[in-house]
Formats: sequence, structure tokens, C-alpha cells
Amino acid sequence: MKKLLALLLALTMVFALCACGQTAAPAESAAPAEESAAPEAPAADEITLDVIICQYGPNTQDWFLGTGMNGTNFVDKFEAENPGIKLNLEVVSWNDVYTVVDTRIASGQAPDILNIDVFANYANEGLLEPVSQYCPEELYNDFFPSFIEQSVIDGTVWAVPDLASARALYYNVDMFEEVGIEVPTTWAELEDASQAIIDYYGGDVYPWGIDMTTDEGQAAFAYYTWGNGGGFVDADGNWALNSPENVEAIEYALSLYSNGYTNPQPATQTRYDLQDMFAAGKLAMVIAPNSLPTYAADKDSTVNMATAAIPANEGKTSSSVGVMDRVMAFKDESAPDQAARDEAIGKFLTFFYDPENYVGWVSMEGFLPAVNSAVEALVAADPSFEAWLDVLGSCQFYPTAKAEWDAVKQGVITAEQNALAGASVQDELDALQAEIAG
Amino acid sequence: MNERLGKRVGPYLWLLPSIVLMAIFVVFPIAIVFKLSFSEVSKSGVVGGFVGFKNFADAVSLPAFKTVMLNTLVWVVAVVGFSTIIGFIIAMVLNQKFRGRKIARAILVFPWATSLVIQASVWNYIIKFEYGNLNNILLNLGIIKQAINWRATYMIEFMWECGVGIFVTIPFVTFCVLSGLQSIDGSLYEAAEIDGASFWDKLFNVTIPLVKPSLTVSTVLNIIYVFNSFPIIYTMTKGAPANKTDTLITYLYMLSFYDRKKGPATALSVIGFLILCICAGVYMLSVMRKEDEQ
Repeated sequence: MKKLLALLLALTMVFALCACGQTAAPAESAAPAEESAAPEAPAADEITLDVIICQYGPNTQDWFLGTGMNGTNFVDKFEAENPGIKLNLEVVSWNDVYTVVDTRIASGQAPDILNIDVFANYANEGLLEPVSQYCPEELYNDFFPSFIEQSVIDGTVWAVPDLASARALYYNVDMFEEVGIEVPTTWAELEDASQAIIDYYGGDVYPWGIDMTTDEGQAAFAYYTWGNGGGFVDADGNWALNSPENVEAIEYALSLYSNGYTNPQPATQTRYDLQDMFAAGKLAMVIAPNSLPTYAADKDSTVNMATAAIPANEGKTSSSVGVMDRVMAFKDESAPDQAARDEAIGKFLTFFYDPENYVGWVSMEGFLPAVNSAVEALVAADPSFEAWLDVLGSCQFYPTAKAEWDAVKQGVITAEQNALAGASVQDELDALQAEIAG
Repeated sequence: MNERLGKRVGPYLWLLPSIVLMAIFVVFPIAIVFKLSFSEVSKSGVVGGFVGFKNFADAVSLPAFKTVMLNTLVWVVAVVGFSTIIGFIIAMVLNQKFRGRKIARAILVFPWATSLVIQASVWNYIIKFEYGNLNNILLNLGIIKQAINWRATYMIEFMWECGVGIFVTIPFVTFCVLSGLQSIDGSLYEAAEIDGASFWDKLFNVTIPLVKPSLTVSTVLNIIYVFNSFPIIYTMTKGAPANKTDTLITYLYMLSFYDRKKGPATALSVIGFLILCICAGVYMLSVMRKEDEQ
């Protein structure tokens, strides 16, 4: 009996270990590659595209698969207009999308079309098709050139932008009037304003929000280093993580924290926590994307907010932070007719960026467009878009086309968090630079 | 002849379905992890050729490795240790006859029956500095004058995580011990009392030796569960700041899907597997030795 129990225990243990096996073994659900091609086989003239779309907000799923597109949805409408092409479309949450995609790649079941933020690894590992293979020229010329440039490696365009958002400083107008201060434009003014807010509200309001979390700590790095003439890369595009400007910028951000001007847990309070506090009138200033007013309205917030440029160091130019996501197509050697597949992907993109569909998609979740043809309709629907389009024009983007970006992104977050816990910024960034640039 | 053959083969025939299931869902994935841990794995998850122990060497030399292993040790010892002690005491109480005993037992199941992600999220709200329930209650009762930052340092945050781990593990221990307690013959206590045994004598000489088997089962299972537990830490801190609150399981997930160091991540999961194999092996050896003695 006890032997049996022991056996049972051992097996339970192994079973329990499955949990860690799953996370680390993407290939676990490995199916032979031929199988993945099977659904495409039955009718030679019918093509099925596997599409993965990221979940941008509560409406994404409904728009693509439910009834969110004037009673119908993207997939039904596309299939009705494009006979012979079937969409096997999945909407995946941002939290899971990397796990899902990596697992599918490892098991030879990469999607045909993927919507995600990063692309460099996929391109460098030879998994992607160049955009020129499938994107119709008319559509290609419609994209903002500055956006397309962000997806180029060695002269080849590997992905197209699906939408963008830009960051700006949001401040609580009523609070600023009550305290009697101006919106800060420089770092010194930011410190003065923060002190004034602390003095006035006696600690009930945090003047400034900092997010150095695993979620988006790289954004904080960008806000401060770009505002000090530094950044991830130097003028030649080489990694320059430990430049004196960067060290000064991060030390400045940490001084805001240590002076008590910020939220108390920058390492675990995400941008959404900050947005919640801002919407509740607990935070006076926060750097947030253009979707913040929609976000706050959803929370029944009554905060009277306005935007301004992100404060920069004295004598340095403020620059907005642009965040862009992408659509890309994976290679599929097993597809029987490559030309027909490319054409189908092109049709998908043409349909997606058709202003009739695309304008609804971009405005639904409060994002900024990536194509010229959508601008007019968006500005007509909401005049406040125009100002944001200007901001978008002056945005800097993360260097996502560089192969080391993943490591840099995690590296700056780790450096920030270590510095929050007391480590020296210089040492942390030196170590990171040495690790990345060798 | 056929009958004898049937008797010999019969049990294995009945075991076959579960063996097949285990092979597909347990043995096969483990074999793949082992294979991956000796292979080159690209950032996107494409599996390359054999690289020997390179992934293991990389994993061990990661800057966060020591912290993470130490955290894992603290996490397992603290959660299993405290939940066993507290669970044992609660089981002793619940074994007494009192009014409302059934309700008390039912309430005890709640933390266990709730999903760990929900538990951890709820605790996140309770200890929130800005509008957390704990601060609100203490302020309203006048016990504190100013809101307290319950998550001031990462050490404290890790202690909270351990606390939540203990809280959700107690019910399991309690029910294991309770089932052991109920199987103890009351006459043993009567005999002990006649011999003039005190409460402590009875506890150490009657109760503990007799519930030891169920206590061992719960402890070994707990070590495995707690070691592999992912949701509490991932929900509360995601290992922040800088992996200082990560355990092996959350760390290897971050390593694989955030840092995209998939090779070292698989190596770490193999290391975790071996550690647990040793734990289970020690337990099995002790059980078998005892059986031989009997």
C-alpha cells in the first residue's frame, strides 16, 4: 500500500512539474509540420490564412469576430468580399501573445499573419517574408514613411505599422489652478511644481507618476534620457546605454522618487495604476498615451485634464515617445501556391487598411493611424486628432529594429529597478552596455 | 492457463489507459524539455543543434541566479513550514467538538477553493497604499493616523507573498491532518490520561506519531506544489524589482518569454525538476525502508 502511495506521489510530482515544463517547452504541443498544412489542402483554389491579432482593448475581439463592426465583423465581411480566402483569426491578449507565438513557431505552426510590436528576432531568424512580396504598391505608398523606416533591417522592410500611439504629459488642470502653478517644461520647474503640490496638499496627492515596472519600464528610460539628449543609441545608431546623459537622466528620475515627488512603488505600479490614480485625482501629472481621456472616462473620472510636452532638461529639446505596433507575414514553405498565398495576404492588408474599415478600428480604441488615407476621416470625426498627428510627427521610437532590443528593454528595466533598490546608476548602465555591446 | 495469464496481465491492462495518458502529457513534454536544455534555442523559439551543457552554464552564471535560488529556498521553507505548523494547530482545534464546527470547516475551504490569481489580486488590493482595505479599516478604527505603505521594500513585498502562500496552503494541511486525527482511536488518549499524561505528552507521544503519515504526505505534496507555484508571485510583483522577488518558476518564465533566453530557461526548469526528484526520492526511500522494517 505504501509503495503504491509512494508511486502515486512520485507521479503527482512529475505531473506537477508539467507546469514548469509547459512554460519552458514551447515545443511540447509539437505536431508534425505537414499537419498544420492539412486544412489548406482540401480545395486547391481555397486559401486559409492563420491570423493572430493582439487584444488592444475591450472592443478588439468584438470588432474582429463578434458584431462590433456595424453588426457584422471583420472576418465575415472579409470572407464575403474575398471568396476563396478563409481567415482563421485569433485575438490574443498582449500578456499571452509572445508565449502563443513562440510556441507556435517552435512547433512549426507559425501564423501566416501576425500583429505584434516586435519583429527583429523573427526577421533575423529568417522567419518573415519581406513586405515587398505581398504588399500592394498603392497600399505601401499610403503608410507614413517615418513609420515604415522603423521596420527596416539591412535595407529590407519586414513589417508594416498597424497603428501608433504617442505619449504626452497629462496634468490635472484644476489642481494646477488651485495650487497656482504653471505647467513645468524643464526638469527644474518640474521639481518646483512637485514641491508646491506637496506643500499644498500635504502628501494627499502625488505630484508625478513613475512606472519602472516590468510592464513598461523601458518607456521611463526613454522619457528621461530623450529629454536629456541621450537615449538608447547614439547618432550612428550604436548602443549607447551608459552615456553620461543617460546616467544623469536616470539619476534625476530617481531623485524625484527619493524626494517623495512620485508614487511610492515605481517598480510595481504600472502605467495603468498611475492612470487610475490620475483619474481618481490622486496624481497630478502623468505621462500617458493619447487614449488617456477615453480610459479615464471609462472609469467615470471627473478630472479636468490637459496635455503638454514632456518636461526636458534645461536647454534640451523635449521629444514625444511614439509606440508603434506592426503587422507581418511569416514564411510558409509548405503552402502549395506561394504566389496565391502572397496575394491573399495582400488582400487582407488592403481590406484592413481600407478607410471604411481602418478608421473604425483606429478610433475604436483611441489610437493614431499609420496610413495617410485615414487621416482626413479621423480628423473630421474628432478634431483633437490633429494635434496628436503633429505630436506623432515629432516622435522618437524605440530602436526595435536592432537585434538586441529585447535584451536592452529588459536590461534597462532591471537597471532601473536595481537603482531603485539602491544600486549605482552608473554601474548598472555600464554593466548593461558591456553585456549588450560586448 | 488462460485464466492465469489473465490474472497476470489484467492489472497492467487496467493501468494501460493512465500509462498512455501519462506518457503523452507528462513523460513526452519532460523528454522535450530535457532535449531543449541541451539544444540551442533561438530567441523566437526555433530549436537548433546540440550544445552540450552550455545552457546550464549560462543559466548558472546569470546575475540573478543566486538571488532566485535563495528566494526559492526561503519561499518553500517559509510557506511549507508555517502552513504546516498553523494548519496542524487549526486541525487540532477543528477536531474538538464545538458548536459551529461544520461551518468553521467549510469556511476553511474558501482560500483553497479560490483561484490563486484571484487570491493574489485580492491581497494586492488589501495592502494597497493609496486606497487599500487594510489602511482604510485601520484609519477608520483610529488605530493608525496616516496610511502605512505596506509594500515599502522588496523584502517586505516578498514577505507578503510568502504570507499569501501560507494563507492559501493552510487548508490543505489542515484537511490532511484532520483526516489523520480522526482515525486515531479515542481509547489511546484515555489510556494516556490514566497514565497521567499531560497535554504535551499526549501531543508528542500519541497525536504526532499517529498523524505522521498524513503529515508527511501533505508536506511532500506541499513542497512540490509550493516550489512550482507561479500565480502568487507573478500576480503580486512579477519578480520586481530586478528579479529580487522571483522564485525559480517565475524567473524561468520571465527568462524565456521576456528576456528571450530560452536555452537557459529550459536548463533552469531541468534543474528544478532534478531538485524535486531528489525531494521525492528521499521521501520514497524513507517510506520503503520503513516498509522493510515492518
